[in-house]
Amino acid sequence: MANELDNIELRPARRRFMQSSAALAMTLIAPGVLLYKTGQAQSENEPGSDNKDLPATPRWGLLIDTNALSEADVDACVAACQQEHGWHSDAGSQTAAQWIRKIHLTDKQSGQQTVLPMMCQHCADPPCVDVCPTGASFKRADGIVLVNKHTCIGCRYCMMACPYKARSFIHEVLQDQLAVAPRGKGTVESCTLCVHRIDRDGANAVPACAEAVNRDGRKAILFGDLNDPDSEISQRAKSHGATRLRADLGVDPGVRYRGL
Amino acid sequence: MRSHLTVLRCLMLSTLLGWFACLPAAAGEVESSGFGAVVIPQPVKPTNASACVEPVDIMRRDHMKFLLHQRDATVLEGERDSKYSLVGCMDCHNATEPAETVVRYPDPQHFCAGCHLYASVKIDCFECHADRSLKQLQQGQLDQPLEDQFPENQPGSALLSLHTFHQQLGDTGGE
Repeated sequence: MANELDNIELRPARRRFMQSSAALAMTLIAPGVLLYKTGQAQSENEPGSDNKDLPATPRWGLLIDTNALSEADVDACVAACQQEHGWHSDAGSQTAAQWIRKIHLTDKQSGQQTVLPMMCQHCADPPCVDVCPTGASFKRADGIVLVNKHTCIGCRYCMMACPYKARSFIHEVLQDQLAVAPRGKGTVESCTLCVHRIDRDGANAVPACAEAVNRDGRKAILFGDLNDPDSEISQRAKSHGATRLRADLGVDPGVRYRGL
Repeated sequence: MRSHLTVLRCLMLSTLLGWFACLPAAAGEVESSGFGAVVIPQPVKPTNASACVEPVDIMRRDHMKFLLHQRDATVLEGERDSKYSLVGCMDCHNATEPAETVVRYPDPQHFCAGCHLYASVKIDCFECHADRSLKQLQQGQLDQPLEDQFPENQPGSALLSLHTFHQQLGDTGGE
Protein backbone atom coordinates (compact mmCIF):
# COMPACT_ATOMS: atom_id res chain seq x y z
CA MET A 1 0.00 0.00 0.00
CA ALA A 2 2.72 2.41 1.00
CA ASN A 3 4.61 2.13 -2.21
CA GLU A 4 1.47 3.06 -4.14
CA LEU A 5 2.10 6.63 -3.08
CA ASP A 6 5.63 6.69 -4.35
CA ASN A 7 5.81 8.73 -7.47
CA ILE A 8 8.17 6.92 -9.77
CA GLU A 9 10.04 9.75 -11.43
CA LEU A 10 12.64 8.66 -13.93
CA ARG A 11 15.67 10.87 -14.03
CA PRO A 12 15.88 12.92 -17.27
CA ALA A 13 19.12 11.25 -18.38
CA ARG A 14 17.68 7.81 -17.77
CA ARG A 15 14.46 8.81 -19.49
CA ARG A 16 16.31 10.02 -22.54
CA PHE A 17 18.29 6.78 -22.61
CA MET A 18 15.10 4.76 -22.40
CA GLN A 19 13.52 6.82 -25.16
CA SER A 20 16.47 6.52 -27.50
CA SER A 21 16.82 2.81 -26.88
CA ALA A 22 13.08 2.44 -27.43
CA ALA A 23 13.42 4.36 -30.70
CA LEU A 24 16.28 2.10 -31.73
CA ALA A 25 14.22 -0.96 -30.92
CA MET A 26 11.38 0.47 -33.00
CA THR A 27 13.69 0.99 -35.95
CA LEU A 28 14.77 -2.60 -35.76
CA ILE A 29 11.35 -4.09 -35.15
CA ALA A 30 8.81 -1.91 -36.90
CA PRO A 31 10.17 0.92 -39.08
CA GLY A 32 6.65 2.28 -39.71
CA VAL A 33 6.25 3.17 -36.04
CA LEU A 34 9.48 5.17 -35.96
CA LEU A 35 7.99 8.45 -37.15
CA TYR A 36 5.32 8.33 -34.51
CA LYS A 37 7.80 7.48 -31.78
CA THR A 38 10.32 10.21 -32.59
CA GLY A 39 7.55 12.74 -33.03
CA GLN A 40 6.34 12.00 -29.56
CA ALA A 41 9.83 12.21 -28.09
CA GLN A 42 10.41 15.60 -29.70
CA SER A 43 7.20 17.06 -28.38
CA GLU A 44 8.16 15.92 -24.91
CA ASN A 45 11.48 17.73 -25.17
CA GLU A 46 9.92 21.03 -26.21
CA PRO A 47 10.33 23.88 -23.75
CA GLY A 48 7.23 24.21 -21.61
CA SER A 49 6.29 20.58 -21.79
CA ASP A 50 9.21 19.57 -19.60
CA ASN A 51 8.22 20.29 -16.03
CA LYS A 52 11.54 19.78 -14.34
CA ASP A 53 12.26 23.51 -14.01
CA LEU A 54 8.78 24.49 -12.96
CA PRO A 55 7.60 24.28 -9.36
CA ALA A 56 5.82 20.97 -8.88
CA THR A 57 2.05 21.21 -8.93
CA PRO A 58 0.60 20.03 -5.66
CA ARG A 59 -2.02 17.38 -5.48
CA TRP A 60 -4.12 17.90 -2.40
CA GLY A 61 -5.44 14.90 -0.58
CA LEU A 62 -6.54 13.51 2.74
CA LEU A 63 -5.30 10.62 4.80
CA ILE A 64 -8.05 9.41 7.10
CA ASP A 65 -7.02 7.21 10.01
CA THR A 66 -10.11 5.11 10.71
CA ASN A 67 -8.46 3.62 13.80
CA ALA A 68 -8.49 7.04 15.42
CA LEU A 69 -12.08 7.89 14.48
CA SER A 70 -15.01 6.97 16.68
CA GLU A 71 -18.58 7.20 15.47
CA ALA A 72 -18.95 10.49 17.36
CA ASP A 73 -15.89 11.80 15.54
CA VAL A 74 -17.41 11.03 12.16
CA ASP A 75 -20.62 12.74 13.25
CA ALA A 76 -18.49 15.72 14.23
CA CYS A 77 -16.95 15.73 10.74
CA VAL A 78 -20.39 15.85 9.15
CA ALA A 79 -21.60 18.59 11.48
CA ALA A 80 -18.47 20.66 10.88
CA CYS A 81 -18.92 20.39 7.11
CA GLN A 82 -22.55 21.43 7.42
CA GLN A 83 -21.60 24.41 9.53
CA GLU A 84 -18.77 25.42 7.22
CA HIS A 85 -20.80 25.27 4.03
CA GLY A 86 -24.33 25.89 5.26
CA TRP A 87 -25.98 22.67 4.13
CA HIS A 88 -28.11 20.36 6.16
CA SER A 89 -29.88 17.10 5.51
CA ASP A 90 -32.95 15.58 7.04
CA ALA A 91 -32.29 12.07 8.26
CA GLY A 92 -33.71 9.43 5.95
CA SER A 93 -34.39 11.81 3.10
CA GLN A 94 -33.64 10.36 -0.33
CA THR A 95 -32.81 13.76 -1.74
CA ALA A 96 -30.74 15.20 1.07
CA ALA A 97 -27.51 17.07 0.49
CA GLN A 98 -24.53 14.81 1.11
CA TRP A 99 -21.20 16.53 1.01
CA ILE A 100 -19.93 14.04 3.56
CA ARG A 101 -21.61 11.08 5.18
CA LYS A 102 -21.01 8.35 7.69
CA ILE A 103 -20.32 4.83 6.43
CA HIS A 104 -20.32 1.62 8.45
CA LEU A 105 -18.15 -1.19 7.20
CA THR A 106 -18.28 -4.73 8.52
CA ASP A 107 -15.62 -7.26 7.68
CA LYS A 108 -17.59 -10.40 6.90
CA GLN A 109 -14.96 -12.80 8.15
CA SER A 110 -13.86 -11.22 11.38
CA GLY A 111 -16.97 -9.15 12.05
CA GLN A 112 -14.78 -6.11 12.63
CA GLN A 113 -16.79 -2.89 12.47
CA THR A 114 -15.32 0.28 11.02
CA VAL A 115 -16.92 3.66 10.73
CA LEU A 116 -15.54 6.16 8.29
CA PRO A 117 -16.40 9.49 6.70
CA MET A 118 -17.16 9.29 2.98
CA MET A 119 -16.97 12.25 0.68
CA CYS A 120 -15.76 13.17 -2.80
CA GLN A 121 -12.54 11.21 -3.22
CA HIS A 122 -11.00 13.80 -5.57
CA CYS A 123 -9.91 11.20 -8.08
CA ALA A 124 -6.98 11.69 -10.41
CA ASP A 125 -9.17 10.26 -13.20
CA PRO A 126 -12.62 11.34 -12.08
CA PRO A 127 -15.52 9.57 -13.86
CA CYS A 128 -17.77 12.54 -13.06
CA VAL A 129 -15.57 14.78 -15.21
CA ASP A 130 -15.58 12.22 -18.03
CA VAL A 131 -19.35 12.16 -18.30
CA CYS A 132 -20.21 15.83 -17.75
CA PRO A 133 -21.80 17.16 -20.96
CA THR A 134 -21.04 20.83 -20.24
CA GLY A 135 -17.63 20.67 -18.61
CA ALA A 136 -19.10 21.90 -15.35
CA SER A 137 -17.64 18.97 -13.49
CA PHE A 138 -13.93 19.62 -13.60
CA LYS A 139 -10.63 18.92 -11.91
CA ARG A 140 -8.51 21.84 -10.85
CA ALA A 141 -4.79 21.90 -11.55
CA ASP A 142 -4.15 20.97 -7.92
CA GLY A 143 -6.32 17.87 -8.14
CA ILE A 144 -9.47 19.16 -6.46
CA VAL A 145 -12.62 17.96 -8.25
CA LEU A 146 -15.35 20.59 -8.27
CA VAL A 147 -18.67 21.47 -9.86
CA ASN A 148 -18.72 24.79 -11.69
CA LYS A 149 -22.31 25.68 -10.88
CA HIS A 150 -22.26 28.45 -13.46
CA THR A 151 -22.24 25.83 -16.19
CA CYS A 152 -23.95 22.91 -14.42
CA ILE A 153 -27.29 22.12 -16.02
CA GLY A 154 -28.36 19.66 -13.36
CA CYS A 155 -28.44 16.56 -15.56
CA ARG A 156 -26.93 14.45 -12.75
CA TYR A 157 -24.86 12.21 -15.01
CA CYS A 158 -21.96 12.79 -12.62
CA MET A 159 -24.01 11.48 -9.72
CA MET A 160 -24.61 8.27 -11.64
CA ALA A 161 -20.97 8.00 -12.72
CA CYS A 162 -19.48 8.49 -9.27
CA PRO A 163 -18.62 5.09 -7.76
CA TYR A 164 -18.56 6.63 -4.28
CA LYS A 165 -22.02 8.24 -4.40
CA ALA A 166 -20.32 11.41 -3.34
CA ARG A 167 -22.54 13.90 -5.12
CA SER A 168 -26.01 15.18 -4.42
CA PHE A 169 -28.51 17.40 -6.17
CA ILE A 170 -30.24 20.47 -4.80
CA HIS A 171 -34.00 20.13 -5.14
CA GLU A 172 -35.21 23.20 -3.27
CA VAL A 173 -34.92 26.93 -3.69
CA LEU A 174 -32.32 28.21 -1.23
CA GLN A 175 -31.61 31.58 0.27
CA ASP A 176 -28.85 33.08 2.43
CA GLN A 177 -26.16 30.72 1.24
CA LEU A 178 -22.75 31.29 2.76
CA ALA A 179 -20.14 33.26 0.84
CA VAL A 180 -17.71 30.33 0.77
CA ALA A 181 -20.29 27.91 -0.63
CA PRO A 182 -22.73 29.37 -3.13
CA ARG A 183 -25.28 26.67 -3.93
CA GLY A 184 -28.67 26.70 -5.57
CA LYS A 185 -31.54 24.69 -6.92
CA GLY A 186 -30.88 22.63 -10.02
CA THR A 187 -27.16 22.07 -9.55
CA VAL A 188 -25.06 19.18 -8.28
CA GLU A 189 -22.73 19.62 -5.36
CA SER A 190 -20.14 17.68 -3.41
CA CYS A 191 -17.19 18.01 -1.07
CA THR A 192 -14.86 20.80 -2.22
CA LEU A 193 -12.01 19.74 0.08
CA CYS A 194 -12.67 23.17 1.68
CA VAL A 195 -11.17 24.79 -1.39
CA HIS A 196 -11.69 28.29 0.02
CA ARG A 197 -9.40 27.41 2.91
CA ILE A 198 -6.84 25.86 0.58
CA ASP A 199 -6.82 28.96 -1.64
CA ARG A 200 -6.23 31.03 1.46
CA ASP A 201 -3.74 28.91 3.41
CA GLY A 202 -2.14 26.62 0.83
CA ALA A 203 -0.36 23.61 2.31
CA ASN A 204 -1.17 24.79 5.84
CA ALA A 205 -4.91 24.63 5.22
CA VAL A 206 -7.03 22.42 7.43
CA PRO A 207 -10.39 21.32 6.01
CA ALA A 208 -13.36 21.72 8.33
CA CYS A 209 -13.78 17.97 8.88
CA ALA A 210 -10.14 17.62 9.86
CA GLU A 211 -10.39 20.60 12.16
CA ALA A 212 -13.32 18.97 13.93
CA VAL A 213 -11.48 15.76 14.83
CA ASN A 214 -7.82 16.75 15.10
CA ARG A 215 -7.48 17.49 18.79
CA ASP A 216 -4.56 17.30 21.20
CA GLY A 217 -1.96 16.85 18.49
CA ARG A 218 -3.78 13.81 17.10
CA LYS A 219 -4.19 13.84 13.35
CA ALA A 220 -7.06 11.53 12.52
CA ILE A 221 -7.62 13.36 9.22
CA LEU A 222 -4.46 14.66 7.64
CA PHE A 223 -4.49 17.13 4.77
CA GLY A 224 -1.50 17.56 2.51
CA ASP A 225 0.25 17.41 -0.83
CA LEU A 226 0.37 13.88 -2.20
CA ASN A 227 2.84 14.92 -4.90
CA ASP A 228 5.43 16.07 -2.39
CA PRO A 229 7.32 13.02 -1.08
CA ASP A 230 8.48 15.03 1.95
CA SER A 231 5.04 16.20 3.03
CA GLU A 232 3.63 14.78 6.25
CA ILE A 233 0.82 13.03 4.45
CA SER A 234 3.22 11.27 2.07
CA GLN A 235 5.53 10.32 4.91
CA ARG A 236 2.71 8.91 6.99
CA ALA A 237 1.29 7.05 4.04
CA LYS A 238 4.73 5.59 3.48
CA SER A 239 5.25 4.50 7.07
CA HIS A 240 1.72 3.49 8.03
CA GLY A 241 0.04 2.63 4.76
CA ALA A 242 -2.81 4.23 2.86
CA THR A 243 -5.68 2.43 1.16
CA ARG A 244 -7.58 3.73 -1.81
CA LEU A 245 -11.22 2.72 -1.68
CA ARG A 246 -12.15 0.58 -4.68
CA ALA A 247 -8.62 0.82 -6.01
CA ASP A 248 -9.69 -1.75 -8.61
CA LEU A 249 -11.59 0.98 -10.46
CA GLY A 250 -8.35 2.73 -11.30
CA VAL A 251 -9.63 6.24 -10.61
CA ASP A 252 -6.82 6.94 -8.11
CA PRO A 253 -8.68 8.75 -5.31
CA GLY A 254 -6.86 11.54 -3.49
CA VAL A 255 -8.67 10.69 -0.26
CA ARG A 256 -6.98 7.71 1.33
CA TYR A 257 -7.75 5.62 4.36
CA ARG A 258 -5.71 3.89 6.96
CA GLY A 259 -6.87 0.94 9.05
CA LEU A 260 -9.15 -0.70 6.51
CA MET B 1 -57.94 66.90 -43.06
CA ARG B 2 -54.46 68.34 -42.70
CA SER B 3 -55.52 70.57 -39.81
CA HIS B 4 -57.08 67.58 -38.06
CA LEU B 5 -53.79 65.76 -38.29
CA THR B 6 -51.84 68.73 -36.90
CA VAL B 7 -54.17 69.00 -33.93
CA LEU B 8 -53.81 65.28 -33.30
CA ARG B 9 -50.05 65.52 -33.47
CA CYS B 10 -49.99 68.46 -31.04
CA LEU B 11 -52.22 66.54 -28.68
CA MET B 12 -49.98 63.48 -28.75
CA LEU B 13 -46.84 65.55 -28.30
CA SER B 14 -48.25 67.44 -25.33
CA THR B 15 -49.39 64.18 -23.73
CA LEU B 16 -45.94 62.71 -24.18
CA LEU B 17 -44.22 65.82 -22.82
CA GLY B 18 -46.59 65.93 -19.90
CA TRP B 19 -45.84 62.30 -19.15
CA PHE B 20 -42.09 62.98 -19.10
CA ALA B 21 -42.63 66.06 -16.93
CA CYS B 22 -44.25 63.81 -14.36
CA LEU B 23 -41.25 61.50 -14.26
CA PRO B 24 -39.08 63.24 -11.64
CA ALA B 25 -41.98 63.32 -9.24
CA ALA B 26 -42.74 59.67 -9.78
CA ALA B 27 -39.14 58.44 -9.70
CA GLY B 28 -38.62 55.35 -7.58
CA GLU B 29 -42.31 54.65 -7.40
CA VAL B 30 -44.50 52.34 -9.36
CA GLU B 31 -46.07 54.36 -12.14
CA SER B 32 -49.22 52.93 -13.59
CA SER B 33 -49.69 53.79 -17.22
CA GLY B 34 -51.37 52.32 -20.21
CA PHE B 35 -48.26 50.20 -20.75
CA GLY B 36 -48.34 48.53 -17.35
CA ALA B 37 -46.37 49.17 -14.18
CA VAL B 38 -43.03 50.93 -14.74
CA VAL B 39 -40.49 51.28 -11.95
CA ILE B 40 -37.92 53.99 -12.41
CA PRO B 41 -34.83 52.76 -10.59
CA GLN B 42 -33.29 55.02 -8.02
CA PRO B 43 -30.52 52.94 -6.47
CA VAL B 44 -29.58 54.10 -3.01
CA LYS B 45 -25.91 54.79 -2.40
CA PRO B 46 -24.43 52.76 0.41
CA THR B 47 -23.50 54.63 3.54
CA ASN B 48 -20.78 52.26 4.70
CA ALA B 49 -18.29 53.01 1.91
CA SER B 50 -16.97 56.18 0.30
CA ALA B 51 -16.44 54.84 -3.23
CA CYS B 52 -17.08 51.82 -5.38
CA VAL B 53 -14.23 49.64 -6.68
CA GLU B 54 -14.34 51.58 -9.98
CA PRO B 55 -15.84 54.94 -10.99
CA VAL B 56 -19.61 54.86 -11.18
CA ASP B 57 -19.86 55.26 -14.96
CA ILE B 58 -17.51 52.32 -15.52
CA MET B 59 -19.38 50.19 -13.01
CA ARG B 60 -22.70 50.96 -14.67
CA ARG B 61 -21.42 49.82 -18.02
CA ASP B 62 -19.03 47.01 -17.16
CA HIS B 63 -19.93 45.50 -13.81
CA MET B 64 -21.15 42.33 -15.50
CA LYS B 65 -17.83 41.90 -17.30
CA PHE B 66 -15.88 42.28 -14.07
CA LEU B 67 -18.10 39.77 -12.32
CA LEU B 68 -17.97 37.27 -15.17
CA HIS B 69 -14.18 37.41 -15.32
CA GLN B 70 -13.86 37.18 -11.57
CA ARG B 71 -16.20 34.23 -11.23
CA ASP B 72 -14.22 32.12 -13.71
CA ALA B 73 -10.90 33.08 -12.17
CA THR B 74 -12.22 32.11 -8.75
CA VAL B 75 -13.98 28.87 -9.60
CA LEU B 76 -11.45 27.51 -12.07
CA GLU B 77 -8.18 28.89 -10.77
CA GLY B 78 -8.90 29.64 -7.14
CA GLU B 79 -8.11 33.37 -7.23
CA ARG B 80 -10.04 34.80 -4.34
CA ASP B 81 -8.40 38.19 -3.84
CA SER B 82 -10.19 39.99 -6.65
CA LYS B 83 -11.86 43.26 -5.76
CA TYR B 84 -14.72 42.38 -8.10
CA SER B 85 -16.68 39.89 -6.07
CA LEU B 86 -20.41 39.57 -5.74
CA VAL B 87 -19.98 39.15 -2.00
CA GLY B 88 -18.13 42.45 -2.00
CA CYS B 89 -21.01 44.10 -3.87
CA MET B 90 -23.51 42.90 -1.30
CA ASP B 91 -21.37 43.92 1.64
CA CYS B 92 -21.93 47.55 0.68
CA HIS B 93 -25.04 47.56 -1.46
CA ASN B 94 -27.20 45.38 0.75
CA ALA B 95 -25.68 45.53 4.18
CA THR B 96 -27.42 43.77 7.00
CA GLU B 97 -27.28 46.65 9.45
CA PRO B 98 -29.73 47.94 10.37
CA ALA B 99 -31.71 44.75 9.86
CA GLU B 100 -34.85 46.58 8.78
CA THR B 101 -33.18 47.87 5.62
CA VAL B 102 -32.51 44.37 4.24
CA VAL B 103 -34.30 43.81 0.98
CA ARG B 104 -34.49 40.70 -1.16
CA TYR B 105 -33.65 40.50 -4.85
CA PRO B 106 -37.28 40.08 -5.96
CA ASP B 107 -37.95 43.46 -4.36
CA PRO B 108 -37.42 46.34 -6.85
CA GLN B 109 -35.80 48.26 -3.99
CA HIS B 110 -32.87 45.82 -4.06
CA PHE B 111 -29.82 47.59 -5.44
CA CYS B 112 -29.37 45.12 -8.31
CA ALA B 113 -33.03 44.39 -8.94
CA GLY B 114 -34.09 47.99 -9.56
CA CYS B 115 -32.06 48.46 -12.74
CA HIS B 116 -32.34 44.83 -13.86
CA LEU B 117 -36.10 45.10 -13.74
CA TYR B 118 -36.06 48.40 -15.60
CA ALA B 119 -33.73 47.04 -18.30
CA SER B 120 -35.49 43.67 -18.51
CA VAL B 121 -32.38 41.83 -17.43
CA LYS B 122 -33.08 38.40 -16.04
CA ILE B 123 -30.03 37.12 -14.24
CA ASP B 124 -29.81 34.25 -11.78
CA CYS B 125 -26.86 35.21 -9.58
CA PHE B 126 -29.01 35.15 -6.50
CA GLU B 127 -30.34 31.66 -6.98
CA CYS B 128 -27.00 30.46 -5.63
CA HIS B 129 -25.41 33.54 -4.07
CA ALA B 130 -26.81 35.35 -1.07
CA ASP B 131 -28.66 38.52 -2.09
CA ARG B 132 -27.45 40.41 0.95
CA SER B 133 -24.38 40.78 3.09
CA LEU B 134 -24.04 37.88 5.47
CA LYS B 135 -21.22 38.99 7.69
CA GLN B 136 -23.56 39.09 10.63
CA LEU B 137 -25.09 35.73 9.84
CA GLN B 138 -21.75 33.96 9.52
CA GLN B 139 -20.48 35.53 12.68
CA GLY B 140 -23.59 34.29 14.46
CA GLN B 141 -23.19 30.83 13.02
CA LEU B 142 -19.79 30.32 14.51
CA ASP B 143 -21.25 30.58 18.00
CA GLN B 144 -24.58 28.88 17.43
CA PRO B 145 -25.19 25.15 17.54
CA LEU B 146 -26.27 23.74 14.23
CA GLU B 147 -29.78 22.69 15.20
CA ASP B 148 -30.56 26.30 16.06
CA GLN B 149 -29.48 27.55 12.66
CA PHE B 150 -31.42 24.98 10.72
CA PRO B 151 -34.61 24.11 12.57
CA GLU B 152 -35.49 20.70 11.21
CA ASN B 153 -38.47 20.07 8.96
CA GLN B 154 -39.42 23.71 8.80
CA PRO B 155 -40.26 24.42 5.22
CA GLY B 156 -38.86 27.73 4.18
CA SER B 157 -36.76 28.05 7.30
CA ALA B 158 -34.00 29.48 5.15
CA LEU B 159 -36.33 32.26 4.07
CA LEU B 160 -36.33 34.03 7.42
CA SER B 161 -35.48 37.66 7.35
CA LEU B 162 -32.44 38.62 9.33
CA HIS B 163 -34.69 40.35 11.82
CA THR B 164 -36.61 37.17 12.50
CA PHE B 165 -33.37 35.26 12.50
CA HIS B 166 -31.92 37.42 15.24
CA GLN B 167 -35.13 37.17 17.18
CA GLN B 168 -34.93 33.40 16.99
CA LEU B 169 -31.32 33.47 18.05
CA GLY B 170 -32.31 35.58 21.00
CA ASP B 171 -35.11 33.18 21.90
CA THR B 172 -32.96 30.05 21.77
CA GLY B 173 -30.12 31.79 23.56
CA GLY B 174 -32.39 32.71 26.42
CA GLU B 175 -33.49 29.19 27.11
